[in-house]
Amino acid sequence: MHLLLTIAWRNIWRHPARSGVLIAAVAVGLWAAVMVIGWANGLMQQRMDYVIERELTHLQIHHPDFPDDGHPWDHIPDHNQITSWLDDHPQVRSHASRTITDGMLQSPVKTSGVRIRGIDVAAETRTTTFHENMVQGEFLDADLSNPAIISRILADEHNMRIGNRIVLTFENVDRELTSSAFHIAGLFTSASSEYDKRNIFVRSKDLTEILAGRPIFHEIGVMLVHEIETEAFVAMLNKHFEDILAQTWRELSPELSMIVELGDVMILLISLIIMAALGFGILNTMLMALFERMRELGMLLSIGMSKVRIFCMIMLEALILTFSGALIGMALAWLSLHHLGQTGINLEMFAQGAALIGFDYLIYPFLSIGDFLLMSLVVVSVTLAASLYPALKAVRIHPLEAARDA
Amino acid sequence: MPIVQTENLTKVYNPETVPVHALRNVSITIDTGEFTSIVGPSGSGKTTLLNMIGGLDKPTSGTVLVDGVNVTRLKDRQLINFRLKNIGFVFQHFNLIPVFTARENVSFIMLLQKKDKKEMRQRTDELLEAVGLGSLKDARPREMSGGQQQRVAVARALASRPRFILADEPTASLDTRAAMNLLDIMLRMNHEEQVTFIFSTHDQRVIDRARRVITMVDGIVEADEHRK
Ligand SMILES: Nc1ncnc2c1ncn2[C@@H]1O[C@H](COP(=O)(O)OP(=O)(O)OP(=O)(O)O)[C@@H](O)[C@H]1O
Ligand SMILES: [Mg+2]
Repeated sequence: MHLLLTIAWRNIWRHPARSGVLIAAVAVGLWAAVMVIGWANGLMQQRMDYVIERELTHLQIHHPDFPDDGHPWDHIPDHNQITSWLDDHPQVRSHASRTITDGMLQSPVKTSGVRIRGIDVAAETRTTTFHENMVQGEFLDADLSNPAIISRILADEHNMRIGNRIVLTFENVDRELTSSAFHIAGLFTSASSEYDKRNIFVRSKDLTEILAGRPIFHEIGVMLVHEIETEAFVAMLNKHFEDILAQTWRELSPELSMIVELGDVMILLISLIIMAALGFGILNTMLMALFERMRELGMLLSIGMSKVRIFCMIMLEALILTFSGALIGMALAWLSLHHLGQTGINLEMFAQGAALIGFDYLIYPFLSIGDFLLMSLVVVSVTLAASLYPALKAVRIHPLEAARDA
Repeated sequence: MPIVQTENLTKVYNPETVPVHALRNVSITIDTGEFTSIVGPSGSGKTTLLNMIGGLDKPTSGTVLVDGVNVTRLKDRQLINFRLKNIGFVFQHFNLIPVFTARENVSFIMLLQKKDKKEMRQRTDELLEAVGLGSLKDARPREMSGGQQQRVAVARALASRPRFILADEPTASLDTRAAMNLLDIMLRMNHEEQVTFIFSTHDQRVIDRARRVITMVDGIVEADEHRK
């Protein structure tokens, strides 16, 4: 073994430039792969955190019919019982109840279909970061009677400003159409213009008064201490309370969960491409090394070096080359991730226009230990696979190759 | 005592397309301790004969017995081991591992044979001194002349303590002085270590010093002459 290691090692240094290029290629390839994956992870994580924290929350509780129908009379039964249970539960960080109904926004200019969301300012601020979307005016704690917050886009469409009066028309729980006047207290802008056009915020206690004359709630958004516990917690809620439907953020926002899955597919693709390049690089280098050494290998076979040893010698060469590269690449990647995971990657200069609105300019790339180990394992497997062919070819060389004239 | 015996050894290259009869019913016997040269014009089958004896290629028909073992019957893997244990090889070119020093090239074969480390070191030094390369032990092949490289090859061939050494035109790429020097060394080793040498050559001065000369023409043994 020591003998084979020595030969393999020296053979590598026979062409320092060629070996160096391969090592560098492996290192840079791996570094790039880890960085891209880490970056994609960071981006996805940020997008996820953003949507969850801005409004979605880890999980939501509704009346079982509400998600599909959205009728105001499908409100959460035994609401107080559920909220006090949530208050006492150690896994819960905070929660916010919302009164929701669909209706019409009328102004002299036009009429828009909107979802009217009644929120409790204190609870909402504790639970989500929606208030950070405010771009002008005040949040719902203004002194006005019946304050409302609409998006800047909607305000522009209706040609309205802060302080203007708007009329909202919707069905109450008795299925009677009612109209009420609200006053614009502030304007918000979220990451999605579609969302902006369809949502209006009012105070829960104002809305519930008009809807039912008593407090009713259609949605409880819950933030847990640990996101990872969401699924189990939702299952427990559904078991513990009757006539409600608790759903995880994945169920509530299929597009978000699709982004996450898409990200995983992208990561897989990038890894595959880089690994394929790596494999061909090794294959090429090893075949070159093989062809220029045919006579030498023939001589080794002639004088009695076994095929197993020759096979191992070639494999060792490939392994040493890739491992050096992989080790350097991994170390660099780890250092880079470690550094950038703290400082973040600043995308401010690319963050022109709407594409990145709602995203933080700073992306914090990361890669889990598991993914890191997986990558290393894949690199090792790819190397082994790619060096197998040259090694098997070496074993098939005829000893007479050595005797052949120059 | 015979060490190599060939019986009706025949080799036909390309039997299907353009048959070339490289050997025709060659039967020779070589005894232990001989210093035999195989001579003949180009294309007469010298290399082919040596390859058959060394188990590097299979004959079309006939047998090669080494110490009574029918080499032609051995499987590939057995052959490699057989060569390692019994035969020392000196080729015309590409004898040495370029990334190894003279010393390492000689030890290499003993490492393959799993010899004792101490014995190995001692024998390597002894042999390199014997072939006159005491001062070039740590030189790599490309730092040595052709003659010096061939002497390392002879030392390596001897290192494994083979039953015999096969050398195909070992002096062909050497100048006269280097060639004579190599031959001196081979003769001395033949004496001192009682190793059998079988080698092919074109070189008349080399032929003159052989003790037995087998002359091949067109794949046939034309003359077999023992000298004193
Ligand atoms: N691999 C091969 N395929 C086909 N024909 C071959 C092969 N090797 C040798 N021959 C032919 O067999 C005959 C004997 O060749 P061989 O190499 O044994 O001669 P040689 O005596 O060693 O010649 P030289 O002195 O030139 O080395 C020649 O006619 C040669 O062309
Ligand atoms: Mg020849």
